[in-house]
Amino acid sequence: MAFTLYSLLQAAPLCVNAIALLHEERFLKKIGWGTDQGIGGFGEEPGIKSQLMNLIRSVRTVMRVPLIIVNSIAIVLLLLFG
Amino acid sequence: MNPAGLAAVGTPRQPSKRRVPVSQPGMADPHQLFDDTSSSQSRGYGAQRVPGGLGYPAASASPQGAFLADPVSNMAMAYGSSLAAQGKELVDKNIDRFIPVTKLKYYFAVDTMYVGKKLGLLVFPYLHQDWEVQYQQDTPVAPRFDVNAPDLYIPAMAFITYVLVAGLALGTQDRFSPDLLGLQASSALAWLTVEVLAILLSLYLITVNTDLSTIDLVAFLGYKYVGMIGGVLMGLLFGKIGYYLVLGWCCVSIFVFMIRTLRLKILAEAAAEGIPVRGARNQLRMYLTMAVAAAQPLLMYWLTFHLVR
Repeated sequence: MAFTLYSLLQAAPLCVNAIALLHEERFLKKIGWGTDQGIGGFGEEPGIKSQLMNLIRSVRTVMRVPLIIVNSIAIVLLLLFG
Repeated sequence: MNPAGLAAVGTPRQPSKRRVPVSQPGMADPHQLFDDTSSSQSRGYGAQRVPGGLGYPAASASPQGAFLADPVSNMAMAYGSSLAAQGKELVDKNIDRFIPVTKLKYYFAVDTMYVGKKLGLLVFPYLHQDWEVQYQQDTPVAPRFDVNAPDLYIPAMAFITYVLVAGLALGTQDRFSPDLLGLQASSALAWLTVEVLAILLSLYLITVNTDLSTIDLVAFLGYKYVGMIGGVLMGLLFGKIGYYLVLGWCCVSIFVFMIRTLRLKILAEAAAEGIPVRGARNQLRMYLTMAVAAAQPLLMYWLTFHLVR
């Protein structure tokens, strides 16, 4: 089973890129996953959907700059070494 | 909005921690993780070091005598050693930022009896009654004093042994090459990472208030390597029948072990005492515990079946 740490290392930027791609206005609001629609009152505990929406929004905010760096490095390395 | 639920929100930690009575004879000082053997060790080694040391200074004095007498090289040596001491201080100060060394030390404070009891518990958890970790003044007791506490010694040793046993199994089938060892280790570590990330994500999504730290999780997930080693070794000795028998037994044991251990950590207090609580929140937590426990046998099979032919 050739599932190595390196394949995890390849999959991680891909997955984070996928989450960062989800556009707030064009896509998330259309399917009802916009973050201004989700947070209701101070319920005893947020449901899974609102946790997911929070997670997507935080990933998009926090990982924007590191993703630029990681993607640039990946592009350069793939161009050089194939 | 039942009062029990509000009370549970107010006290995020499990209130039913058992306090260890302070006057326990076996525990000198529970905050001291390791035994202090410095005095006996220096006495024992001091006698041995002297005859061995006598040989060295005589041999090294003559060629280095002229070298060391030079004051410039003296100064250079002093400067070099002070630089090294400064560097060591810097590393020691900063290492704690990246690797929590003091927290890790807790997980390696084990002794032989603990390891023996824990290994027995991993293959036969059915008779053990009390699964709760003892606490001493709000910190969990070191593993050597409580068999329920998680440790990293057994998972680390079991992982290394698994890689070696995998190499042995491949060697007996003429399929061995040194990079395959690295491949096995990398594969097992990658699956461990995926498991830890998946469980952390699920714990975040279900908003579980638990004191299950990441290192605890790594420790619990590392216990399955013990069963994997047993299965592969039996498979080497007795073929596929032995492999399936021992692996089946270890799979069921790890399943029961994980459920009983995680139930206390993930599920709410009421459910931990055996009362089945109906409620969406507890049901989700129960599903998560079952899913984590069910993933262990699957991974144990997946990581070992290609080693036994």
